[in-house]
Amino acid sequence: MSELPHPGFVVVLVAAAATFVWRVLGAVLVGRVDPDGPVVRWFTLTSYALLAALVVRLVGLPTGSLAELPATVRAGAVLVTITVWWLGRRRPLPAVLAGSACIVAAAWLAAG
Amino acid sequence: MKREADLALADPGAAARAGFRVAIGVPLLLVSGGMLGFGALAHDIGFASWEAVLASTVVWALPAQVVATELHAAGADLLAIAIAAALTSMRFFPMAVALLPTFGRVGLAGRVAQSHLMSATSWAFLMRSAAPSEPRARLAYHTAFALTCITAAALATLAGWLGAAALPQPLALGLLFMNAAFFMVLLIDQRSRQALLAVASGALLYGPVHAGLPEMALLLAGVLGGTVAFLLGDRLRPRS
Repeated sequence: MSELPHPGFVVVLVAAAATFVWRVLGAVLVGRVDPDGPVVRWFTLTSYALLAALVVRLVGLPTGSLAELPATVRAGAVLVTITVWWLGRRRPLPAVLAGSACIVAAAWLAAG
Repeated sequence: MKREADLALADPGAAARAGFRVAIGVPLLLVSGGMLGFGALAHDIGFASWEAVLASTVVWALPAQVVATELHAAGADLLAIAIAAALTSMRFFPMAVALLPTFGRVGLAGRVAQSHLMSATSWAFLMRSAAPSEPRARLAYHTAFALTCITAAALATLAGWLGAAALPQPLALGLLFMNAAFFMVLLIDQRSRQALLAVASGALLYGPVHAGLPEMALLLAGVLGGTVAFLLGDRLRPRS
């Protein structure tokens, strides 16, 4: 991956700065802003939408090794994750483990 | 019940020990699971192990870490990476505004330090009624809780990175999938219809936007989806 434009630690520090700004802003403005106001609500909704787009990208159009698996396998693992979450009284860990187990099993069958 | 818990936790030392004990349970599993996946992803796109561990301790926000790593792998420029990370991390602002006053009179440096240690998990646990209510005890409880989580995060990131490097390919792929799976269950676990609308809009918009503008797709899908949910959701709100 030497063709990537920046060293990894520079990317890490940029992401750290972009996150730290909000933490510091909260520490400075505490007591002077309404955490339930419209601006905060827009940012919260936008971060949900961006994360949902990220999930679609990670599963649907992966850039790394996950692209080696067929799209049907990835879609099946998503279905299993959500089903186990729903049936398992909305507990995150069993759902994540079940979805990942699907990927492992499918990759193992494909390789063997 | 509450008074009994408070009496036992009145001393900051006891509160710190309680914060540590509570963190070693579900919070530790959640943090480790998420960071294990991040470590695998970081290895997959070519980060060194120390760069991956650095990310988990100085960014200390899984969505920002994953989004920055993904965009970096796609060759995005630093400004796009910064904007996307900032959009996913905005939640720390209202969280800090709500949490920090409960620690009583703490100087700016102390507030900034607590605000960096804070995570979605530590925030949620401090807002529970089982957490101590006396400000100094809360401060000790949160510090111990969050330091335990951040240590686990660093170790799990390293484990995920090493796992992706050394484990057979099927297991490494399973670790990689954990990133997406974690965000999925986080996003669908919403009580608010407006938040669900934002999730659905972002997910549905990503494909079409990516077909036209692949470089900007994450940012645009996020901003458009969030704005759609903001405008529609506001209109649907009962006026009272």
